[in-house]
Amino acid sequence: MPLDQDTETDDAALLARYALGDAAATRTLTLRLTPRVFGHAFRVLGDSAEAEDVAQEAMLRLWKIAPKWEADRARVSTWLYRVTANLCTDRLRKRRGGPVLDNIAEPADPAPGVEGQMQTRARMDALTAALQSLPERQRQAVVLRHIEGLANPEIADILDVGVEAVESLTARGKRALKAALAPQKQALGYSDDS
Amino acid sequence: MTDAALEALLQDARRPQLPDGLMSRVLDAGLAAQPAPGGTSAPVSRWQRLTGAMTGAIGGWQGLGGLVAATCAGFWIGINPPQYLPDVALSLLGADAVFETTDTAEVTAYGWVVDEGNDIDG
Repeated sequence: MPLDQDTETDDAALLARYALGDAAATRTLTLRLTPRVFGHAFRVLGDSAEAEDVAQEAMLRLWKIAPKWEADRARVSTWLYRVTANLCTDRLRKRRGGPVLDNIAEPADPAPGVEGQMQTRARMDALTAALQSLPERQRQAVVLRHIEGLANPEIADILDVGVEAVESLTARGKRALKAALAPQKQALGYSDDS
Repeated sequence: MTDAALEALLQDARRPQLPDGLMSRVLDAGLAAQPAPGGTSAPVSRWQRLTGAMTGAIGGWQGLGGLVAATCAGFWIGINPPQYLPDVALSLLGADAVFETTDTAEVTAYGWVVDEGNDIDG
């Protein structure tokens, strides 16, 4: 099977092949990891251009560490999420007053039909704005747990906190998200029982 | 808003569309930073790195074999030293040999009598 369509080979094995000069491994890692890194950064930063910069920087760090990668180090994806989380934190610290939520540009999501597309877009905009209203650690934890779908121990490793702290952050984050989205429920097309 | 609706919304947010050209820029950077084929070795574990450094310091696996052989030989000589070898403890004390300065006769009740040639009875 060409590496480009490979979904089974371990990230660490691909990174080892990358370090040996295998261009197919570079393509597979790019296809596999770039969407995750960009998605994580975009949901945390709420800004597509900044998320793009973070994704490029995180992937560049991955390429650079590949020849020195130790096989018994953390999983490649865990390491990459941690780098991304730290880069996002740096950017958020540099911001003064945070992003202007009205100006957050949501990348277009492909959806069938114009109406469906508009509703999806409105929901994503609302979610992005609601995420930005959370404290940074809660936001990181919610994105990693409920959007990226990682397990709590891996999130604890990424955020360098205990598993209990992750559980607390995600629980509080979800409650805060629901509270932030509740006033827009009708406008976003949610019925009373959804 | 229900938990299920929020979960569904978060699931929909999983993969936003990538900006144009991001994938190719990441790929180009990866190819530019990639070592030439055969230019580097595969990643190794810390343990492999440590053992590699240690064996390298003593001359590789041949050196390690020699070290093991010498250790075994030294251990055996320590247990069963050849007769002609000097006593290590004496060498450390600066002496060549131990001279017996006592005689059983001197420490027994009759020793001095024997030395003097006297008959205890007479």
